[in-house]
Amino acid sequence: MTSGGWGFASELEDVSGAVAIVGIGDADFSKASGRTTHEIAAQAAERALADAGLEAADVDGLMWVPFSGDQLDAAAFHAHFGTSHELWTSTRGGGMVWAGSAPYDAALAIRSGRASVVLNTFSVAWATQRPQMVGGPGHVHAEDLFKQNLEVPFGWFPQPVYFASIARRHMHEHGTTHEQLGAIAVACRRHANLTPGAVMRDKPLTLEGYLASPLIADPFRREDCCLISDGGAAYLMTSLERARDLRRPPIAVLGVGVGNSRTGAYWSQQGDFTSTPQAFAAPGAFAMAGLAPADVDVLACYDPFTIVSLMQIEDMGFCPKGEGGRFVTGDRLHFDSGELPYNTHGGMLSHAYVLGIAHVTEIVRQLRGEAAAQVTGAAVGVYGGYTGPQASTLILARH
Amino acid sequence: MHATFPLPDVEWEPTRELWAGAARGELRVTRCASCARLVWYPETPCRFCGGAALVWTTVSGRGRLFAWTVVRHAFLPHFAELLPMVSGLVALDEDPAVRLVTRIVDCAPEELRCDMPVAVVFRPLRFAGVAGEVVAPLFAPAP
Repeated sequence: MTSGGWGFASELEDVSGAVAIVGIGDADFSKASGRTTHEIAAQAAERALADAGLEAADVDGLMWVPFSGDQLDAAAFHAHFGTSHELWTSTRGGGMVWAGSAPYDAALAIRSGRASVVLNTFSVAWATQRPQMVGGPGHVHAEDLFKQNLEVPFGWFPQPVYFASIARRHMHEHGTTHEQLGAIAVACRRHANLTPGAVMRDKPLTLEGYLASPLIADPFRREDCCLISDGGAAYLMTSLERARDLRRPPIAVLGVGVGNSRTGAYWSQQGDFTSTPQAFAAPGAFAMAGLAPADVDVLACYDPFTIVSLMQIEDMGFCPKGEGGRFVTGDRLHFDSGELPYNTHGGMLSHAYVLGIAHVTEIVRQLRGEAAAQVTGAAVGVYGGYTGPQASTLILARH
Repeated sequence: MHATFPLPDVEWEPTRELWAGAARGELRVTRCASCARLVWYPETPCRFCGGAALVWTTVSGRGRLFAWTVVRHAFLPHFAELLPMVSGLVALDEDPAVRLVTRIVDCAPEELRCDMPVAVVFRPLRFAGVAGEVVAPLFAPAP
């Protein structure tokens, strides 16, 4: 196993305590709904504003990512809200890794006076769009010419096939088992069963049921893989000082870290096949926050597959590398375990596949004490973002 | 997508020599003209030294099965009649950091083990509903 030289941390300024999340909005989460990404993002934005007690005219910074459909960019924001004022804008927002790193860019903009209230939104309508997509969410991968020519012809497509291969190697190197992957799926499903609006709310899953489910790409079953959903979410950020005057308890950003792979965008060639760049993101975020993994009350990681949860839990330092399988066994990830409550809304496996943005709104809800599967006394929450060659760590705390 | 998707586009310049070599029975990969390391995929600049040029080289076709999955669900309709299909990665003996995406053939899935020795075999890829075929480097347990 190679390690060490395959990745690095982005150099970030210390923004600990510079911003707080003061409003969150979840759009409706669903299977195919006929909605557009634009409608979904606008609904999330309206709800975030209502939550914060702010008006669209108060927003002077807007973040999104140009990705899959029309996101809520400046023109769409103004068209929807009937506003026309100047906005600081950044396309380093949205979901995935950026759902965790957007507060860093927002902090810099707020600190330098370029913005005072920043809205980040992300939405996806892949359930509605799926019939037109080659390989569903694999579509963006099929359009990559190296993948089209060096991976797809051999059946190494789409994402479940990449990550089933990673899981196989993790099993070989570390002795990880089907039951251990299943423990992650079961914990997430239990949380979704408790969470209003979760796509899988009414569908329980036991470990026995998981193990009886057919393999789709060994060692994966359908339950190892995320849903395909319509939905989105939004969150509003401002300075901690201004946050104290708003209606909701401020949730402070204490640390941000970004990790990067040096070995390119292709999973097949990653320098450490069974690790994620969380190994480079998390240490900086914890150092910025002055905290350690043991201080974390609730964790949410970008979870396209069970193995991606397991690897990030290892790579963020919640257990030694290779121990993830044994670590997640039993009920350790359950909201009421008193150990490491994980993806307490159900994650992308069981809540909705909205690419991480709803993980952040769930962490905020936990730290406000308002979650459905509430972790008693949750004071420190962490989001782990992941986009293959990049990862982000966002550390939030009740202020 | 090109017209014969999910067959490769054998005319796409960055990977053209892989398919031309396979048709001749040679496994071809790229080497950096500056630092001489094998670089895969054939993207420039070289990720090790920043070199601007790659040259194609013939390798032995021997390696180790790094990882695989038995695909049982037709993620593309073209794959349906090939299932179950073993898709995975082979680490080349010349440089195990180079992992070729391939299919493993001539082996029951339950016999597969990580790091088992494998050797290239050249076989035509064909997909239902797609005209033509392309000879590709697949791998089988090493004799």
